[in-house]
Amino acid sequence: MIVVTSLVVENATVVRPLGPAPASRGVPRWLRKAPTYIFLTIVAVASVYPLYFMVVGATNTSPDVLGSRLLPGGNLFANFRALVAAQDLGGALWHSSLNAVLTTIAALAVCSIAGYGFEVFHSKGKDRVMSLLLLAMMIPFAATMIPLFRMFAQFGLLNSTFAVILPAISTPFLILLFRQSARSFPHEVLEAARIDGLSEFWIFVRIFVPTMRSTYAAAAVITFMNAWNNFLWPRVILVANRYQTMPMLISNFRAGYVIDYGVLMLAVLIASLPTMIVFLVLQRSFANGITGAIK
Amino acid sequence: MKKSTTALAVLAAASLSLGLAACGSNNDTGTSTTGAATTGAPSGDITGKTLTVWTWDPTFNIYAMQEAEKVYQKTHPDFKLTIVETPWDDLQTKLTTLAQSNTTDQLPDIFLVQNNAYQKNVINYPELFADYGNAGIDFSQFPQSVVDYSVIDGKNYGLPFDNGAVIAGYRTDVLQQAGYKLDDFTDLTWSDWLTKAKDVLAKTGKPLLSGQANSSDTIMMMLQSAGASLFDADGKPTIVDNAALEKAIATYQELVKAGVFTEVNSWDEYVQTFVNGNVAGTINGCWILGSIQSATAQSGKWDITDMPKLEGVDGATNYSANGGSSWAISANANYALAADFLKSTFAGSTEFYDTILPSSGALANWAPAAKSAVYAQPQAFFSNDAIYTKIVSYAGKVPSNNTGAYYYEARDAVSTAITKIMGGTDMATALKEAQDTVEFAMQ
Amino acid sequence: MSTIDLTPDQAGVRTPARHRGTGLEKKRSLTGWIFLLPAALLICWMNFYPMIQAFLLSLQSGKGAKLTWAHPAWYNYARLFKDPQFLQTLKTTFIYLVIQVPIMLILALILATLLNSKTLRFKGLFRTAIFLPCAVSLVSYSFVFRTLFSTDGPVNDALMGLHLISSPVNWLANAGTARFVIILGLLWRWTGYNMVFYLAGLQNIDYSTFEAARIDGAGPVKTFIYVTIPQLKPMILLTAIMSTNGTLQLFDESWNLTQGGPANMSMSMSHYLYQLSFQNNPNIGYGSAVSYAILIMVAILALIQMRVGDRRD
Repeated sequence: MIVVTSLVVENATVVRPLGPAPASRGVPRWLRKAPTYIFLTIVAVASVYPLYFMVVGATNTSPDVLGSRLLPGGNLFANFRALVAAQDLGGALWHSSLNAVLTTIAALAVCSIAGYGFEVFHSKGKDRVMSLLLLAMMIPFAATMIPLFRMFAQFGLLNSTFAVILPAISTPFLILLFRQSARSFPHEVLEAARIDGLSEFWIFVRIFVPTMRSTYAAAAVITFMNAWNNFLWPRVILVANRYQTMPMLISNFRAGYVIDYGVLMLAVLIASLPTMIVFLVLQRSFANGITGAIK
Repeated sequence: MKKSTTALAVLAAASLSLGLAACGSNNDTGTSTTGAATTGAPSGDITGKTLTVWTWDPTFNIYAMQEAEKVYQKTHPDFKLTIVETPWDDLQTKLTTLAQSNTTDQLPDIFLVQNNAYQKNVINYPELFADYGNAGIDFSQFPQSVVDYSVIDGKNYGLPFDNGAVIAGYRTDVLQQAGYKLDDFTDLTWSDWLTKAKDVLAKTGKPLLSGQANSSDTIMMMLQSAGASLFDADGKPTIVDNAALEKAIATYQELVKAGVFTEVNSWDEYVQTFVNGNVAGTINGCWILGSIQSATAQSGKWDITDMPKLEGVDGATNYSANGGSSWAISANANYALAADFLKSTFAGSTEFYDTILPSSGALANWAPAAKSAVYAQPQAFFSNDAIYTKIVSYAGKVPSNNTGAYYYEARDAVSTAITKIMGGTDMATALKEAQDTVEFAMQ
Repeated sequence: MSTIDLTPDQAGVRTPARHRGTGLEKKRSLTGWIFLLPAALLICWMNFYPMIQAFLLSLQSGKGAKLTWAHPAWYNYARLFKDPQFLQTLKTTFIYLVIQVPIMLILALILATLLNSKTLRFKGLFRTAIFLPCAVSLVSYSFVFRTLFSTDGPVNDALMGLHLISSPVNWLANAGTARFVIILGLLWRWTGYNMVFYLAGLQNIDYSTFEAARIDGAGPVKTFIYVTIPQLKPMILLTAIMSTNGTLQLFDESWNLTQGGPANMSMSMSHYLYQLSFQNNPNIGYGSAVSYAILIMVAILALIQMRVGDRRD
């Protein structure tokens, strides 16, 4: 091990130590990497196991699922037929998708510009406002649900998609996420753009947004997932159940005296897929580091 | 700066139109409820031809409602039912939210309520319910113990539907292997039962019962079988110095200690114990028959009888109830139509009950229906026994018990006490603690 | 209502506009306010207004919908200290917080660092697999966990096979083991979730910083401690606040995995709140007081985290 004489982190640059560069340790690279691969594989397998169980469960009969059968069965189509016969699967997927997509778009737009505003133009006053806004997420929803419901009822907005998504658009969490990310946004770039005569709003749109692609990707995945899985509020605000969502559909399946676990596993598998797909698509943004936009 | 203000305006307009688009989409997307056309506000229907119902379970309650709709349509061709599928937990959340926010105009005409939750809801939220005083329904045709769940201050608030009468189901092949017949497990006391169950366990290796470790279901069933409850007539908790409760807990302890009652962690595991054949019987509300029958391979090997009774407790019987639910008419209902519909179907049509029994196993609480030949049909799964006639006769013999508004608090407190007692805490201490918990909740 | 003071030590130092005259500075400050206005207004409307209503409810007592002002006004808050079940859920929730949050965040940091390596292969696969748990439906996750830890389940079989235990452990029937299962469930479900923020944060850091550290001879551990952690500080603060908030408001695991059992020993505060408001004889006033107690505790912890982690230096 070579002793690092001075490894000081300052303004994102590392002051070079005085010593020479490390010599090769004489161990093949693949062997040095082996513990990493083994560790990651163990974590990955443990992470995927319940998903595997769900996939296999969707192909099995109810008694087989109860018996924790781990091999695929031949009951997938029967389960699917039972699922669509009992519930409006297409409708639930559509309503959930609509809620999740609209919420994600609106939330990213509203919260990212706010987070940017908080950080790039930060002042004591804005920091105080930020900390005040944080209080909004610290109370359990079960406590504010009834007053919120009463408010929507007074406005005649019960049973509307609008009422489902409105409370989920502006969240302290997303604002904080963008505020924290904006901290690593280089101020030299900002200044250069200002000198070029770009207005503050277009600096945000043309420079900040593309630079912070990975933050947007993370925010989109999390917001989509939360909106997709949101249960209590849609269940209550959609009093007449006209726009049943996937979590509501699954809840219906669990309410009977006799639960068909094969069908249930298929339903929860279908309900879990969209978030996974969204992640799979967006995770590429976590690969390349800062893109050429600012260099 | 001007540019950025303009851009901001564009953004604002965009988000506004997004909102409008979201609003607009409400009106043209399809419905997801069972009914074809959904009425905006569920009630106050001027034409008087449609009713909205909140209930759960497509194979059971919802199916029954759909059949009731067909029966009623024979005499009222324009009649239409909109059924909104809502599981009980969600229904309870909705009821609480509507009551607390004074938006009772959102209530449906009819909704299903768990029998155990009736007192709590009617006492706290009388503004949600209409009583059956003007419905013209003869409640003497229903078992008294079931009607009593939904009687508050002498008024009826529920029409009993889902039957919660307790059955003891056994694998007759396993009993036979140990040299017993179903009759040996009928009309007996828990101590006789225990002797025989130990013998069955010794000879076959199979316990006869199973249940969730942290649940008080079994003890609550034992309690009601003796007509006892956790509250006195004034609604005061009677968890301490309750002879029936102490006997029930002591009995339960013996069952578990002897190994004839397997404690498991969850409901899924409980169902699995008899579906996979590791446990050779179960005692529960008769709605458990559906789960038993999901083990198709065990067809013909099951049969049912009544449950054992507590020894040395006044009023002990072999009959009890667990769960069950009743139809409520909401305060926001088209009362005349809702009452007439329920009266002509759930409280007046043998044909209706004859239809729903074979395909859903939904048992009538309405006495005249049980006289029908359909109820006397032998059931192949249950050793060709006429189990439905049996269950209806049990239902009529269940002693009433007083659930009270604090039923759930008391039941949870007793569950906690049982867990502690099984863990070694002295029974009197644990029950005193449970009593204190409930009294604290009532303050 | 107290606010959390995020005032940085050297506020404004990094605002390059400062030396260009106050007119421009004011204009920029105004632009900032305009940027955050829509979000702030929505939060006032959708969160603060109902929160004020909930606070008013917490000063009322009575069952059902017939509430009256409590005497004294803090009646429901005083009740919290006399309620053994609330104090029990408080203790349980803090056990979850203290054990689970640090382990989860460190594990997530390590995973994110490993997966940020340019030379590692199958990164997309690993990333997706490790993120998956929070996307998997709660229904199947709780089912699987209950099955794994059932009396005759694989965990018991494995431990018996290794002769670590002599008889099967009834995991969900003992307070300690039931809490352990919940903590394990939380770790399983949320580590990948937090990893995502670190991964996103790492993308905003110039990769050459890591390379420079490597060339300078820093091993992976030193690079992690002296380069990765300081650079990710804003994200670590975010995840620490979010995880603290999430754990103190924990509901899903308590409700689905253990139903709060045995004997309410694994029940979280939010689970108790839900029970008070919707399952038991409704006591909305007291339920609101419980939720404000949660708010105050989260706010205090967030304040401390902000004080420690939000310095702009």
